[in-house]
Amino acid sequence: MVVQIGRGHALAFCAAVGVFLSCGVARAEDPNSWREIETKYIFGFTLGSGIGLEGEKEVTVDSIGRFGKRQGHYAASETKYEFEFTPSQFIQIEFGALGSTHNIGGVDSLDDRSQIALGGAFAELRYLALERTSNNPLAVTLAVEPTVRRIDETSGERVRNFEFETTVNADLELLRNRLYAGFNLLYEPEVTKTTLGDTQREAKAGGSAALSFRILSNVVLGGEIWYLRHYDAANLTAFTGDAILLGPTLFIKFAPKMFMTAAWNAQVWGREIGNPAAFNLSEFQRNRVRLKFAYEF
Amino acid sequence: MNFENTQHPKGFKVAVLTIIMRKLVLAAVCAIAMFQTSASQAQQATEIQLTYSKGQFQPSQVSAPANKPISFRIKNLDAKAMEFESTSLRVEKVVAAGSEGVINVRALKPGRYEFYDDFNDKARGALTVQ
Repeated sequence: MVVQIGRGHALAFCAAVGVFLSCGVARAEDPNSWREIETKYIFGFTLGSGIGLEGEKEVTVDSIGRFGKRQGHYAASETKYEFEFTPSQFIQIEFGALGSTHNIGGVDSLDDRSQIALGGAFAELRYLALERTSNNPLAVTLAVEPTVRRIDETSGERVRNFEFETTVNADLELLRNRLYAGFNLLYEPEVTKTTLGDTQREAKAGGSAALSFRILSNVVLGGEIWYLRHYDAANLTAFTGDAILLGPTLFIKFAPKMFMTAAWNAQVWGREIGNPAAFNLSEFQRNRVRLKFAYEF
Repeated sequence: MNFENTQHPKGFKVAVLTIIMRKLVLAAVCAIAMFQTSASQAQQATEIQLTYSKGQFQPSQVSAPANKPISFRIKNLDAKAMEFESTSLRVEKVVAAGSEGVINVRALKPGRYEFYDDFNDKARGALTVQ
């Protein structure tokens, strides 16, 4: 029953987004009079190819909340307090600190806890490998993001964790200034050392597809789907489960130098190796939410 | 879950730091390489002169050859600052009132590249590269 309700909500949200996209409001303005849009944050969890403008700087608060395990209550968040800048017309650099919160109770294999902590630090390098022109609608950016954590993302325990996220961020302008498709490929190996001295190596791999429609010059609505696989080895040899997440996305530019992006993904399908229960709630969560505010200068 | 007991916690720390350092050095080398490429391209740039007056670019339509770097030289004749900006050119620069700004752009592929004043929505222009 719970399973059906969760899936129903996600599908209903996507259907609502679809209806909104096709309504008359979307045809009220002439998109040819709009400025081109920076695509990096218009696809929710999926990242577009944008790297900003040379000389541009940005401060950002980017929160990701994860909710729902098989039992009890589970709510965790990780917030990036981020500074990003674009030193050339091909490279973007970001770095910052991570804050984390955990509110866990009655979840198998996780200790109950309620805590707020400084979770770690990260840096990201993005390189624009293929740029969009008026004759080529496809753009591709390659990104690497090393992250160190002192608080485990899932359990909230004290650990020493090193993660190296590698992504390919591609997007396609399907209708000029109006309709965009985004695609991500992800490979994210990590190694974690617990306070008991155990070392865990794991990796996440997967991909996403997103579709975003610019309904107003400063508002973009869309939906995205993610397929994620989890392994208990960095070289992708010990598969433990996978999941499909689906949900709507929203991007609003409040002012020329200020914007927000929001996204919600619900797990609509998942499996755990050795567990016949529906969904993969061991390595992934039932819902995840992203809320990001940015100011450019 | 692939847990294993580790006998050398210091070794783990060193290994992690080594990986981080290698990646950061690689990133820095890539970044420096890109800066050097950009700098060398700027030496052979095609110059485009624009004036900004009464909230408009003059001329508003310009052209340049493909695969050659471009240098925009913008004179702001207005009494307030303007910001030359372009998403497709991936540049932005504030030009103070009564002054001149230079913006260097990489070698471009054929196409149309729009630019505008970020402080004034009505000020638009376009560069055609062919």
